[in-house]
Amino acid sequence: MKFSVTKEKLLEGLQQVQNVVSTRTTLPILSNVLLQADGNEVHVTTTDLDVGVRGSFEAEVEKAGATTLPARRLFNIVRELPSSDIQIDVDGKNAASIRSGQSFFKILGLPEEEFPPLPKFEGAKTVTIPQKSLRDGLRKTAYAISTDETRYVLNGVLFSFKDNKLTLVATDGRRLAMVDIELEFPRSHEADIIVPTKAVTELQRLLTDEGDVKVSVGSGQIAFDLNKTLLVSKLIEGNYPNYKQVIPGDAKERITLERETFLNSLRRVSLLASDKSNSIKLNFTKNNIDITANTPEVGEAKESLPVQYKGRDFSIAFNPEFLMAPLRNLAEDEVFLDLIDEMSPGVLKIQTPFLYVLMPMRISA
Amino acid sequence: MDKKCAELWQTLSAALKPQVSADTFKRWFSSLELVECSDEVFTFRVPNNIYQYWIESNHMVALQGAIVAAFGEPRQVKFLSPSESSAELIPEEVDATTKADGARSNKAAGTTLGLNPRNTFESFVVGPNNEIAHAASLAVAQTPARTYNPLFIYGGVGLGKTHLMQAIGQYAMAKKKNTKVIYLSSELFINEFIDAIQHSNLVRFRKRYRQADVLLIDDIQFLSGKERSQEEFFHTFNTLFDGHKQIVMSSDRPASEIANLEHRLVSRFEWGLTAELQPPDIETRMAILRKKARTMQIKLADDVFEFLALRIRTNVRRLEGALMRVASFASLSGKELTREVVEHLLKDILQEEARNAVTIEQIQRKVAEHFDVRLADMTSKRRPANIAFPRQVAMYLARELTKASLNEIGDAFGGRDHGTVLHACKQVKKRMKEQDSIRQTISFIDSSLQR
Repeated sequence: MKFSVTKEKLLEGLQQVQNVVSTRTTLPILSNVLLQADGNEVHVTTTDLDVGVRGSFEAEVEKAGATTLPARRLFNIVRELPSSDIQIDVDGKNAASIRSGQSFFKILGLPEEEFPPLPKFEGAKTVTIPQKSLRDGLRKTAYAISTDETRYVLNGVLFSFKDNKLTLVATDGRRLAMVDIELEFPRSHEADIIVPTKAVTELQRLLTDEGDVKVSVGSGQIAFDLNKTLLVSKLIEGNYPNYKQVIPGDAKERITLERETFLNSLRRVSLLASDKSNSIKLNFTKNNIDITANTPEVGEAKESLPVQYKGRDFSIAFNPEFLMAPLRNLAEDEVFLDLIDEMSPGVLKIQTPFLYVLMPMRISA
Repeated sequence: MDKKCAELWQTLSAALKPQVSADTFKRWFSSLELVECSDEVFTFRVPNNIYQYWIESNHMVALQGAIVAAFGEPRQVKFLSPSESSAELIPEEVDATTKADGARSNKAAGTTLGLNPRNTFESFVVGPNNEIAHAASLAVAQTPARTYNPLFIYGGVGLGKTHLMQAIGQYAMAKKKNTKVIYLSSELFINEFIDAIQHSNLVRFRKRYRQADVLLIDDIQFLSGKERSQEEFFHTFNTLFDGHKQIVMSSDRPASEIANLEHRLVSRFEWGLTAELQPPDIETRMAILRKKARTMQIKLADDVFEFLALRIRTNVRRLEGALMRVASFASLSGKELTREVVEHLLKDILQEEARNAVTIEQIQRKVAEHFDVRLADMTSKRRPANIAFPRQVAMYLARELTKASLNEIGDAFGGRDHGTVLHACKQVKKRMKEQDSIRQTISFIDSSLQR
């Protein structure tokens, strides 16, 4: 196999796939990237057996062929190369010679046959989603994924295809984020699947604002075809808990807030929320919220925020990190905070179908 | 749900309702089923996993609080989702002290910490034997990490070490809600440490102890010979000390006398204040008995109190046990308590007390051992200075520690006359006044004899 390529194209191609490669692995082949040169492009593939990504870059292929090379090492070399023109020549023993300007590297690879093939998705049910919608939906939910490994069904995002709607849900038991995306698909394609965190993270990196993504669901696996790149992942086995149970009933109060202003106030006040209690209090009075935090023996912070509010005076406490997370990941200017009382969960909403349920913390006197 | 569980669940529901909002109760708790209810564990069947996740994450404090309110002590709570049969129950241990974060768990923590609510400063009887330890503990509880840090309390069995420690913990917690108090015995510390090594979650272990505001470690002498635990404790100690957190330790002997304890630990233990608890004197013993009798609401004649206080000297716990026994006999039999009855009731305890009394022979042996002279020299007629002085010390101690008369002591030391013994006592007292080193030596022998 032999090809010439520009440094930029090669780096771009490797960047698409190199995150999947895990640093410690018992199978050496999994730290390698599969390179397949054919026609006028080179396909690159990596996998950790749970998640696999396949991308490509344009190149002048002199001799078609395939090999695998240590991914991280290759990437580090290419990044440091002095000139933009790079020539890679792989001999029959999978030793790759890399030439660029005055530099010459030789790195040893492993045969192509040892590389585990990505699963095939023949006859799988396929749904097409605009990339922008999916990217947006994941951004609004992924931060709420649980990292508690004992609750493994929560270690991912629920993709629920139902009633011409894709519902994305993530929760860690203290908060829950949910987004609805309108879609058209046949009844037979309805399904509830859980996509693991790693695949969600990679997918978020690969999705762009243009074009569509074709989602194919096979047995126990899922593929996201983004035209030039393909991501396949195992699904989390098990049933996602009945998240609807969490969503509280009708709110008593709805407060409209400017997202940026609210977020900035929270960020400032939370500087004085203690690590231990880690709560931030919202005190509602007529047309005003006082946001307060205090840590014994350190100090306290308070900020007032004028809002439209005509309900009764009351206070509710939240974990500041949990309250800020959705605000950071939304793009809308206006958010609505729906509250019932100091003991019931608060709900954050926007104009489009999104909601974020957050449990209040107990206010200690 | 069997009948007993159904009843318990009703009691628990009633206790739980005021703790959570009506909506929360209806949404999360009304569809739970209590399927197993032992003295340690409550197992709930949930309709769906989300109930388990949500209750564990958000309502555990309320649930444990309700359990404590309804049944007096915490239970381990487990959940059973519909897919699991009760045979393959997955234990989902929820320990209120570790799972819930400090500020919110204090209410439930008071009980789960293992602090006995009866052990408070109010119920501690102060006498000349323990006033320093009591005052130091109170100061520490009022302003943790400001006055005496670390505080090292030592004293024999049943003299109130644990009582004081627990009183500090409860006082500090009652005074400021967010104070994170950790109370445990050093043995538990060691076990948890070993457990953490085994399951390689040392980080969590460290986090747990190094975040305490007040760390109370009981029976620190058990660290003796456990090198890695000592090292771990050393680092925990330093972290807390540097972070201006209060550390209180108790032991049955002074830090310097704990065998196989690293010097750097010993020196740290002696860094702050060391307070000794001594056996109570007769007046204090009387006061303890009266106070105890009042809280237990029992009435006894004065001479019974006096008899108990007089005969049981070494140990407060034993004193209380004797009182309890006498009181329960009185209420069960309805007989009048005479001296003879009491003596008969307590004969095993009294015998044990008598056995603890020091004999002249023990004194001679100990002194001979300490000064490295032969036991025979205690009774021999030889009197070079290196033998005569130890002999005098032994006579002095025999005079102080036993009830033997001067004549009896003289006889025990090879038939010496009472004047010799008297002279020896005077001589020793005089030299003790003049030389600190002699006073220390003698008090050391004295305390090792009484142990």
